[in-house]
Amino acid sequence: MTHIKLSDPRNAARTKVIACATVIEEMRPHLPPGMEVQVLDFGLHINPQELKRILQEAIDATAPQIDTILLGYGLCSMAVVGLQATHCTLVVPKVDDCIAIFLGSRTAYRQQAHREPGTYYLTKGWIEVGDSPFAEYDRLVEQYGEEKARWLMNQMLKNYTRLALINTGQYELERYREYSRCTAARFGLRYEEIPGSNALIRKMLYGPWDGDFVVVRPGEKITYQDFITNP
Amino acid sequence: MSKELVNAIADMREEDALRIVREMVESDSDPMTILDAAREAMAVVGQRYEEGTYFLPELMLAGEMLGQITEIVKPALAKAPEVTRYGKVVIGTVQGDIHDIGKNIVTFMLDVNGFAVLDLGVDVPPQKFVEAIRDFQPQVVGLSGFLTLAFDTMKETVDAIKEAGLRDGVKIMIGGGQVNEEIKAYTGADAYGRDAMAGVSLAKQWVGAK
Repeated sequence: MTHIKLSDPRNAARTKVIACATVIEEMRPHLPPGMEVQVLDFGLHINPQELKRILQEAIDATAPQIDTILLGYGLCSMAVVGLQATHCTLVVPKVDDCIAIFLGSRTAYRQQAHREPGTYYLTKGWIEVGDSPFAEYDRLVEQYGEEKARWLMNQMLKNYTRLALINTGQYELERYREYSRCTAARFGLRYEEIPGSNALIRKMLYGPWDGDFVVVRPGEKITYQDFITNP
Repeated sequence: MSKELVNAIADMREEDALRIVREMVESDSDPMTILDAAREAMAVVGQRYEEGTYFLPELMLAGEMLGQITEIVKPALAKAPEVTRYGKVVIGTVQGDIHDIGKNIVTFMLDVNGFAVLDLGVDVPPQKFVEAIRDFQPQVVGLSGFLTLAFDTMKETVDAIKEAGLRDGVKIMIGGGQVNEEIKAYTGADAYGRDAMAGVSLAKQWVGAK
């Protein structure tokens, strides 16, 4: 188990966060002073190969005084598999994607997924970046007309039953609640608000990096094996 | 005319595509020529998707067009000499995942390539795969999943098939999302496919079809 005190500004200054735009929304309120942050475009998640390339570039461009990089990502469709840093330790939460980060643990995500796999999750970050099938509807209408657009939306959402807004307690939720409720009603989904947690984010920023994290030494590559938690 | 059909499907011109198909059927074209064109068009669509010029909606529109084309061609196919089926495939999206656009395209492609396919749908528990293998007796099983969460249930499904004593009788392929050699090894499947045609090739290879 690794535990360095990141609340100590001397350590914070040697640590850099590279995070997705949706994840940083939840991290910001907890960031220790003096920690460098690099935010990457949310839209990259749909192309894991491209996300991998950009992440590796961001890692490679890290200043020499940095010795630890915290990745605000999960497996993200295998995008983090294969990443390595020459002179830094890489730390990434041992989760499938950001939903688990927002819910506070991989277990919480798996429980939700098991209970109702047809769930579309939203958070402030997801709503703000506007990159969801709901936001895409208008583009589809423009390109294929109202009727086809509606058909496409129905197809895309036909196995979905629930729209869940994750309440991370981080911000004034009213605006996002309103948007989520309306979206759910518009596309025939059941609206639910589920409690989030900042436990994983705080642990990532302040340690300890226990079994909930993949910690990779300088020169080593992140592997899929690192993410396997099953016996 | 079949080149025109390939282009119409590949360029998402549904009305043109369906009109051409009807004309071809009326002029007694070989139904297989139409299905071959549909197959070719699907390969183009897949390529454009890979290149990033097409996205999920285009895959779905293409899938929908293929479904309609098959409906129009069916009566003509029924008149043709009995199509030989190479073999049987059981397919489904594993438990915990509900993504099925890719699986549906694979199902369609297997069907038009001469396989009898039993599609179990989405969020399919391991035991349901086991029962389907017992009843339907396929040579090939296709496990689909888009989320990385699905890799664990793919593994559980392969294990359940093993425990039921059915593993030696079937070849198992996985697909959807970011499957690779490592995931294949982790799940215990026999192979993985990165697109629908790869799935068809694997199935053909396993049943000894040309």
